[in-house]
Amino acid sequence: MPNFDQQPPAGGGAPTPQGRGGAPGGAPPAGGRGAAPAGGAAPQGRGAAPPAPPSALALKYPWPAKPVLLGTRVKRIDGPDKVTGRAKYTHDINRPGMLYGRIIRSPLPHARIVSIDLSAALKAPGVKAAYNVKEPGAQVMYQGDTVAAVAADTEERTKDAARLVKVEYEALPHFANEEQAMDPDAPVVFMGGNTRPGTAQDVGDIEAGFKQSAHIIEATYYTHVITHVCLESHSIVAEWEGDKLTAWCSTQGVFPSQQGLAMGLGIPAANVRVITQYMGGGFGSKLQAGAEAVIGAKLSQMAKLPVKLTLDRKEEHLDTGNRPSAGAKVKAGVTADGTLTSYQADSWGTGGAGQGVGNLPIPYIYTFPNRKRTHKDVYINSGTQRPMRAPGHPQACFLTEVLMDELADRVKMDPVEFRIKNAPVQVPSAMYRTYLPEGAKLFGWDKRHATGDPTPGPIKTGFGVSVHTWGGGGSGTQAHCDIMADGTVVMKCGTQDIGTGTRTIVALVTAETLGLPITAVRAEIGDTNYPRSGGSGGSTTAPSAMPAIRLTAAKALEALFVKVAPTLGVSADTLVATNGRIHVKDDPTKGVTWKDACKTLGADTISVDHMWEAGLSSVNSSGAQFTEVAVDIETGIVKVKRILAIQDCGLVVDRLTCESQIYGGVISSMNFALYEDRILDRVTGQMVNPNMEMYLLAGMSDIPKIDIILKDMPERGVVGVGEPPTVSLSAAIANAVRNATGAAIRSLPLHPHKILAAIEQQKAGGTL
Amino acid sequence: MASKDEKPDKPERFSVSRRDFLKSAGVTGIAAGVVGGAAELDAQTGAAARVLGPGDVPVQLTVNGRRIDLRIEPRVTLLDAMRQRADLTGNKRVCDRGTCGACTMIVDGRSVYSCSTLAIEVQGKQVRTVEGLVSANGTMHPVQQAFCDQDAMMCGFCTPGFVMATVALLEKNRNPTEAQVRKGLDGNICRCGTFVRVLEAAMKSRGVARA
Repeated sequence: MPNFDQQPPAGGGAPTPQGRGGAPGGAPPAGGRGAAPAGGAAPQGRGAAPPAPPSALALKYPWPAKPVLLGTRVKRIDGPDKVTGRAKYTHDINRPGMLYGRIIRSPLPHARIVSIDLSAALKAPGVKAAYNVKEPGAQVMYQGDTVAAVAADTEERTKDAARLVKVEYEALPHFANEEQAMDPDAPVVFMGGNTRPGTAQDVGDIEAGFKQSAHIIEATYYTHVITHVCLESHSIVAEWEGDKLTAWCSTQGVFPSQQGLAMGLGIPAANVRVITQYMGGGFGSKLQAGAEAVIGAKLSQMAKLPVKLTLDRKEEHLDTGNRPSAGAKVKAGVTADGTLTSYQADSWGTGGAGQGVGNLPIPYIYTFPNRKRTHKDVYINSGTQRPMRAPGHPQACFLTEVLMDELADRVKMDPVEFRIKNAPVQVPSAMYRTYLPEGAKLFGWDKRHATGDPTPGPIKTGFGVSVHTWGGGGSGTQAHCDIMADGTVVMKCGTQDIGTGTRTIVALVTAETLGLPITAVRAEIGDTNYPRSGGSGGSTTAPSAMPAIRLTAAKALEALFVKVAPTLGVSADTLVATNGRIHVKDDPTKGVTWKDACKTLGADTISVDHMWEAGLSSVNSSGAQFTEVAVDIETGIVKVKRILAIQDCGLVVDRLTCESQIYGGVISSMNFALYEDRILDRVTGQMVNPNMEMYLLAGMSDIPKIDIILKDMPERGVVGVGEPPTVSLSAAIANAVRNATGAAIRSLPLHPHKILAAIEQQKAGGTL
Repeated sequence: MASKDEKPDKPERFSVSRRDFLKSAGVTGIAAGVVGGAAELDAQTGAAARVLGPGDVPVQLTVNGRRIDLRIEPRVTLLDAMRQRADLTGNKRVCDRGTCGACTMIVDGRSVYSCSTLAIEVQGKQVRTVEGLVSANGTMHPVQQAFCDQDAMMCGFCTPGFVMATVALLEKNRNPTEAQVRKGLDGNICRCGTFVRVLEAAMKSRGVARA
């Protein structure tokens, strides 16, 4: 149930205008919350908003200058549960008497439902509930759109019953791609038109800029649609007790899911508890309760029994979101000395049936003083888009960074030098002036040959580079800390661990603040019974949750100091907690162990609530990625040989899990460039590869050597790193393929047939 | 059986993959091929071919050294039997058609895609799931420990499959080369992108993994 508009949100009350998601009170996050301002406005402005000043409490409890745990390599505390199979994901929840639910979906990309006959299904063995999700007369807008639902006592019988649901459709005209929808002779399939204009932009004097230009490139660039392919499919286990629902959801946001379920079921949010202890990947597609969550809960309500509804792989591809396409017909100019002049683009993209593409921040990062843009959202009959790791940025990065290499070639400048020359001077983009030369040196960039590998033989190698930025930032998250008389510490926070290590860093920051080992802290997350937090998306989780955890733990410790101080005959403000002891700041011998300190609580428990405050987290991060590829010009197969990723990480909380996220982002970007592709049959509008053998993803043998350089900037506080490292590698790979082959590479994915076609075109005289 | 090995140690003459089974469904006598040990039929001679199901039939499995008696339909996969009837939910269902490896179990020493293996066909065989790797005193298998040490996981949904694939590989070849490890783990897919550290963990486990 994506619910985001063309324009990035204003940030839901976040203290800066960048649209950072993770809004206070867990408001549903939305798409396009990168650093770039709305609707493709000048990217130069990003990061210009002054950060909120640090709060008094943040000044009192800054991040420690000499941390014990922060920034070190702390093993995931739930690692043993994950590797042994003890960790219970939504898919793994089995409840007494539980039924299995299944959704009947449209096989057609656009149709009117004439009739739905549930009678045979209702009589089938084991069936306990069935209902029409849509009523006859309603339209289905894409293959996989929901029609009806059924629940039975075993999964096998549920599938049998689903096959017995008879649905009659009246097929209606459909579009399988943007060209069909943009055809002026096409029928009107979507109310209000098949396309919708996006924000236009006109800055400076575009024609004057072109007049100054020594070279002008006119070309079309395009990135394709991919799906999230969460390994744990979207799923729910719903169980009612009277009018109260407990829902185990595979979600990136327990609170947004609570709201979504309450709204979908027409019940008070207070009657819904959502639990997500473990979830198997979301990447932006699980920020809200989807249709399947509401359907599973309804089936359970009807049957008066718990229901598990897990989507199968095909449903997951068809109806749980995708990364929208982005195309742009571009005209761009550069002066003889390599200064960018004008950028004109007519862009388009599709987010599926009635969904826009969201934010598309082109031109990405670099300073073109004169810019003119139009944008068109194109509606086709496919499942609708949802945010996917750095929404808008991988597309905008590719559209711009490939052009940058082409422009650099025109003025015979090295791509690194050309990028530095045209990077904005403001932070964070100013960082590229540092990252690019540093990366070039480490990578051995001086060994890069000019465009077109002169080596004889079919294997050509090439180097590529690209840079990226992202907003992220923190706000709003609340937390609760209990310190008990036996020394137990529990930190509760209604955030969730989507695989990034949130549970671990909640415990880590608590332990750091209390001077305890991480094993002494219990981190309880992933439950709407805990204090509110937003969805985990847009790299906002750590910057939202960590300040809340730090301040909540600090306030709890203050309360403990007050109890302990009289027993030591000192005032509370002289005390500190280090190494499992509470003692006078400059006299470690004058103190007590943690356990003895807690004994002073007697029958009491210290119970403290607090929340995020400004001063311990930052917005914006940036990075650069380099790659070397080998291209077999006889087969068109591209092999990535090595990658270097430089990433600004602000204050690193857990170095181990931080690095894992960067590896993951890089590999995800490689998948985008080389392998994955959602293919819709241009005639039937049906997905050709809704599985995992024809929808390609990298395997172990495809993974190159990846080096990571973390740029620690503890003075900036915590920033998120989920999105940034996933943005730029795909463009760097395309640039490396161009460097290897000399052929213009202007669209993704880089499948062999496209590489061969580009090489043929180059031989035939090129496109430049 | 849907073996992940390229070259099985020996031909599995009584085994039929789910896909082969579906392809030949409807052919008289096919049931004899999938019965395996339970009905003690001789598929070679074709004698006394008996159709099992539809409807529940008794299926007796040996899982992690324990006997599990189930009444399930013959079409139930080994993975679903474990996850839905035995509450052994460690191995995950992801692609459900033998591509991604999240369901990897070890049957008689060979790694199999349990999503594409019928429960009824592994009767009489030793089935190991990820839960079976932890020793009786609660100590993790060295491969599991290495995965924790190297942070060879993120969301963790592919992890049990990778752990099982690594164990199966190292039980066959205690000291594989990096190329052999890569090849051995090519039947598994991770979406979070943990490959770098899975490779490190597998390499670190070489030689130390117990058989």
